[in-house]
Formats: sequence, structure tokens, C-alpha cells
Amino acid sequence: MLLNSVILVLQETLEATLLISVLLTISHLHWQKHAWVIYALVGGLALSVLYARQMVNISEWFDYVGQEIVNALLQIIITLLICFSIWAFLKNRRMNFILKSSINNYYTRAFIYCAAITVALSIMREGSEIFLYLSGFFHQDEYIQSVMIGSLVGFGIGISMGVLLFYGLLFLPTKWRLRGPLILLALFAGNMLSQATLQLNQADWAPSTPMLWDSSAWIPENSIAGQLLYALIGYEATPSALQVFSYIFGVTLALIFAVVGNKPSDKDPELLQINPE
Amino acid sequence: MRIKTSYPSWFHKVLTTSLLTGLYCQSLFAATPVIELNIKDHLFYPAEIVIPVDTKVKLLINNLDATPEEFESYEMNREKVISGNSKTVIFIGPLGAGEYPFFGEFNPRTAQGKVLVK
Repeated sequence: MLLNSVILVLQETLEATLLISVLLTISHLHWQKHAWVIYALVGGLALSVLYARQMVNISEWFDYVGQEIVNALLQIIITLLICFSIWAFLKNRRMNFILKSSINNYYTRAFIYCAAITVALSIMREGSEIFLYLSGFFHQDEYIQSVMIGSLVGFGIGISMGVLLFYGLLFLPTKWRLRGPLILLALFAGNMLSQATLQLNQADWAPSTPMLWDSSAWIPENSIAGQLLYALIGYEATPSALQVFSYIFGVTLALIFAVVGNKPSDKDPELLQINPE
Repeated sequence: MRIKTSYPSWFHKVLTTSLLTGLYCQSLFAATPVIELNIKDHLFYPAEIVIPVDTKVKLLINNLDATPEEFESYEMNREKVISGNSKTVIFIGPLGAGEYPFFGEFNPRTAQGKVLVK
């Protein structure tokens, strides 16, 4: 029981903590802003308890596939929010570059809001599973202690991985300090969209497509490397064509937002006032 | 006033006919086989399900325990939480011939099963 709960809680925590680390790296490096994480954590925890408590009802929606539909919707929203946060970050960076300042403008706020909602929604999805898991043991006194200890250990490892990634990204060479987190965010966007199509496929709302490859012999999904790669870049050992397509689509979408955010724009009113040329 | 359209007049007929045919065909093939699976005392009943090759199947899972369970299969790419004393639906397949294990992630030692595709 102890080991099971370590693994389960670690699996559910990892994705959210890695996402938090990447977003926090950006807000720390460029604006030294951190408080939004606290709000996002509290909001996310409240939402996850609510989601877990309503799971019985939600599951019955749409002929018993409500859970998949809600999860897919959350993942699509997260994908879009990640794209918008990339856009807002690059817009802000361009503006500060032109104005030769590091003021916090409305793009900073846009990034912080996107990041906070992204984190809250991803905690809502993953956290609700942990709550449901733990709730199953509340009335089983023989297991409760080992399950709680195991969960705390799993949670601790998950947080440590996040801290490790945070400092890893902070100490990247200058050239990669900007690109590293953005590339990871783009991969997160692809991962989320691919998971969303998988959920829709499980609910029979999206067509079944043939499996594109089988790498379970090299990196099994349930191995440590497989789980880490799954959380970080959305690794699947046996992905379907639709999953791979939506992954590429999500990454491309994020890159398009990055290109648009980085494009010089003379229509920007704030810039026009200060730089009339 | 007659509104000019850029498509020919028979377009509607073709569209309606093909839509109706499509719906009819779908209703013919939509008879997705349903297989019931029960969870009792953290065990799957039956622990082995046989399904035909290249066929989509609707799994109707009844959790008869008071505790929640998570149906999980890496081989079938499926994952779903099932609350205590509730039922749910998971679509699997179409799958190639072979063995596809699944397990209850909340009680992985006991809750084990597999889908045999023949």
C-alpha cells in the first residue's frame, strides 16, 4: 500500500509541478513575481475538492462519459492558456526591449493571469484523482497510515522534481534561458491537446485511429523514465495517429503564438505614443 | 427576389440523400458490443474479457465497492476514475489480436485483468 500510494501520488503530482516550475521560472526571471503561484495553488486545491466531490454526477453526463468530456475541455483550455501566456510573455519582452525598461505592463498581467489559471486547472484535474484515491481509505484504519505516509513521500518527490527543474532552468546558459522554458511550454501545449483527443477517443467522441508506433519495449510507459517523459513531454509508448497529430498541432499552435508575440507591431498604441516613428 | 446560389439545384438532394444514407449506415454499424465488468472487493469480474479483432467495444463498468477505483491500461491507453457504488462507460478498441492487461490503479495488487482480442 505504501509503495502504491507513493507511485500514484507522484504520477498525479508530477505534471502539475513541472508546469508550475516552467511558468514560475519565467515570472521569476523577468519580473520577480511569485505570489500568483500561491493563489493558483489555493484555487486549484479548492477546485479539485469540488471536482472530486461532483465526480459521481459529472461521470453520468453525456451517457456516462462526462468525466472524459470535462477533462478534455480542461485540457483544451489549458492548451490555449499556455499559448496565450507565451504570446503575452514575448509581447511584454518586446515592449520592454523597445522602451529599454523593465516595467510591468498589461502583458505582464496577462501572462500572470494565464499562468495562474493554467496551474489552477491542472491542479484541479490531477488533484481530484488524489482526493478520490485518499477518500477511499478514510474508513480503512488498517491502511490509512501507510497510505498517508506514501502519499506525502510521493508528493515530496514530485515537488522536489519541480524544484530541480526550476533551478535547472534558472542556470541554463544565457542563450537558452529564454528558449528553454518556452520550448517546454510549447511541448506542454502539445501534450495537453494530445491528452484531450485521447479522452475524446475514450468517450467515443473522436474516431479511433491506428497506432503509429510501439516503443514499449525500449521505454515502457510505467517505467520511471517513461513516467518522467510522460509528465515532461507527453511521452506515449503506443500513440494513435490522432494523438500524434494533435500533439504536433498543439506545439505548432504554441509556436504560432510565439511568432506572433515576437513580431514587431507598429499598431501598438503604447509604443506609438512614445516612439512616434 | 430570387437569391442566386453558387451551387446547382440538385445539390440539396444529393446532400440530403447522402446524409440520410450516412445516418442509416451508421445506425447499422453503430451496434457497438457492450461488455459488462464488475468491481467487487477490489477485484475485476470477469478478470478476462474476450473481444473480436478490430472492433470497438463499450465497457460498462459497475463499481460495487464503496471505495473509488481507477481503471487503467497502458497498453490500451485508457484511464478513468470510477467513484464508489457507481457505474461508468469506457470505449476500447478497435484493437489488433493480442493480450491487453488492465488494472485498478487504486488497488493494483488485487485488481488485475486483461482483454483478449481474438
